[in-house]
Amino acid sequence: MTVARKVFETARKEGRTFVLEHEAKDIMKSYGIPIPPYETATTADEAVEKARRIGFPVVLKILSKDILHKSDAGGVKINLKSEEAVRAAFEEIMENARRYGAETGIEVDLSRGVFISSFAEMGTEVIIGVTRDPQFGHALMFGLGGIFVEVLKDVTFRLIPLSESDAREMVGEIKAAKILEGIRGQPPRDVDALVRVIMSVSKMVEENPEIRELDCNPTFVYERGKGALVVDARILIDL
Amino acid sequence: MRLLPDEPTIEEIDVFFNAKSVAIYGASATPNSVGQAILQNFIKPQYTGKVYAVNPKYTQVLGVPCFPSLQDIPDDIDLVVVAVPARIAPRVFEDIAQKGTKAAIVISGGFSETGSRGAELEDQIVRIGREHDIRIIGPNCVGVIDTHSHIDTFFLPEYRCGRPRASNVANISLVSQSGAFAAAISDWTSELGLGISKIISLGNKCDVDDDDLLRYLAQDDSTQVICFYTEGYDPGKGRSFFDTAKRVTPHKPVLVVKSGRGQRAKEAASSHTGSLAGSDRVVDAAYRQAGVIRADNFEQMFDMAKALAMQPPAKGNRVLMVTNGGGLGVMTTDALEALGLGIPHPSQDLQENLRKRLPAYCAVGNPIDVVGDTDASRYDIVFDEALKSDEYDIVVVGMLLQTPTLGMDVTNVIANHQRQSAIPFVVVAMGGAFTTKAGEIMELMGVPTYATGEKAALAAKALARYGEIKYGAEFRKSMRSDKP
Repeated sequence: MTVARKVFETARKEGRTFVLEHEAKDIMKSYGIPIPPYETATTADEAVEKARRIGFPVVLKILSKDILHKSDAGGVKINLKSEEAVRAAFEEIMENARRYGAETGIEVDLSRGVFISSFAEMGTEVIIGVTRDPQFGHALMFGLGGIFVEVLKDVTFRLIPLSESDAREMVGEIKAAKILEGIRGQPPRDVDALVRVIMSVSKMVEENPEIRELDCNPTFVYERGKGALVVDARILIDL
Repeated sequence: MRLLPDEPTIEEIDVFFNAKSVAIYGASATPNSVGQAILQNFIKPQYTGKVYAVNPKYTQVLGVPCFPSLQDIPDDIDLVVVAVPARIAPRVFEDIAQKGTKAAIVISGGFSETGSRGAELEDQIVRIGREHDIRIIGPNCVGVIDTHSHIDTFFLPEYRCGRPRASNVANISLVSQSGAFAAAISDWTSELGLGISKIISLGNKCDVDDDDLLRYLAQDDSTQVICFYTEGYDPGKGRSFFDTAKRVTPHKPVLVVKSGRGQRAKEAASSHTGSLAGSDRVVDAAYRQAGVIRADNFEQMFDMAKALAMQPPAKGNRVLMVTNGGGLGVMTTDALEALGLGIPHPSQDLQENLRKRLPAYCAVGNPIDVVGDTDASRYDIVFDEALKSDEYDIVVVGMLLQTPTLGMDVTNVIANHQRQSAIPFVVVAMGGAFTTKAGEIMELMGVPTYATGEKAALAAKALARYGEIKYGAEFRKSMRSDKP
């Protein structure tokens, strides 16, 4: 059974329509999508050990089937540079999750602990997403992150599956495309790596049509030759 | 032309346009009724097939023999046109099934568009249709017009709703979800002098849908350009249209006007991507990806369709504007530029060659202004040199006929250069009665002619866009060679 099938089965058994972050990244990794190194940990000691293995700085995030919006539940701590910081962050995230449970009246499952990831170096922020249109089925969206997507809605769509020329056209046709070519003396971005990520996401959704929506947001694109990384991933599925 | 693998759809759909015997179910002796208007269309001499009326109330209607049921007709029936109240439609379909007829157009309303009771009736006819392999157009539609076979189920009298004609040059077919638009376009195109092959109104699309017609029209030799008016697709049907369109568009241009820029998908979405999508952005992307050209409105669609029907697609996007009026040249090149087309200056060589042969006061640039005192010979010189140079992929010709020096022979010059070069030409001729007549003559010679620079620019854009769709990477090559 593929990684994706296993994850979706687990999620369905728990009545979830979203997959947990490490599950999303396990699936993406199985499709060759570049992800910063990550681990999971259920105790503070384990978190410290895993963080050391990944290398500082790291990010810690709550992993619970009961929490979809992690930041709202105080479940995200970024740029943790030392063992002490990781230990403190672990305790704080657990405490916040318990409080979130008490406030919302949800019995929050804490048994999965936290997700630990290398804190990716900042790159040019892009978003790759997938939606399912009632008339046309799955469509992939691409745009630059931050204000470009939030305010200017500078995004473009293609139906899945995409051809490589579709993916290249998308990258070239957003209004802010020049930013990827390198402006103000900046070197051009690694568009080839970005196109590979888009193609892999297309393949992943084509082979797993139960994916309802997906966001790779943010995805960082580095200068040419230095690749791209999907930093945060969200996958929603059919029940 | 057979673009798609053999499939039953083609022959099933063909009956709607080539039926040799037609029965009008609900034919009526009441003047101005739907049942009479449809029958009237079939007793015009242009329709050469056989027609029968079905209605238990009469033995003849307008001189056409009338039978209580299809069973009583002593002949095979290829196509049944149903114009009876919705509630008796299921009984009519039992009759059709028994007769063994495989095609029905249901004109009547009162089905799924009116609520659950109507939807139930629609389900019943669909079920009978499926069981007996009857293909159904409609319900709630005006049916079809075919300008070759003269099958015409539009219940709109010809003095109110003109009928289009086929052209010897090239023909367009239109598939419309809306019956009212189908009728208005029939009426409108009858005046435009635009060649039409078929108009199909799909109504509720209970069986035959956009995808079926796209498959059929793709292989229909009398259709050079396929146009759609669509409000929406049933779940999943957008995808099947997309899949078919992808295969068709490299061979035949497909244009669409799609209304209903709805927000349904937006409301249903819970992720970031979903909320940005809205359904229209996805629709837009799907058309683009499938090589379907989307127009904002009917006027634009038919301006583009006319050019695509008459002219070959462009191999690149370099446009040359030639004009005998400076203002028209500037306005048209502005419009061309706004549409993203290239308007490169002639090379040094080409400029020199033109200057040698043109009077000194002609402006040699882009546009090339052959000036108000020109006759056809200066156009001839410009086309000759410019086409030899291989510097342009499309020629837009400004032809202002208010000046007495420019004779009608300019239309020959334009048509000859177009035919010999196989480069697409578009003409813009602004003016009144004389100009309009000249435009008609120009179009009889195969070159599309427009009343404004903006329309001509849009036509040029359509020829470039379709060239891009048809030639793919080859088209882009000619764009690259354009760069210094």
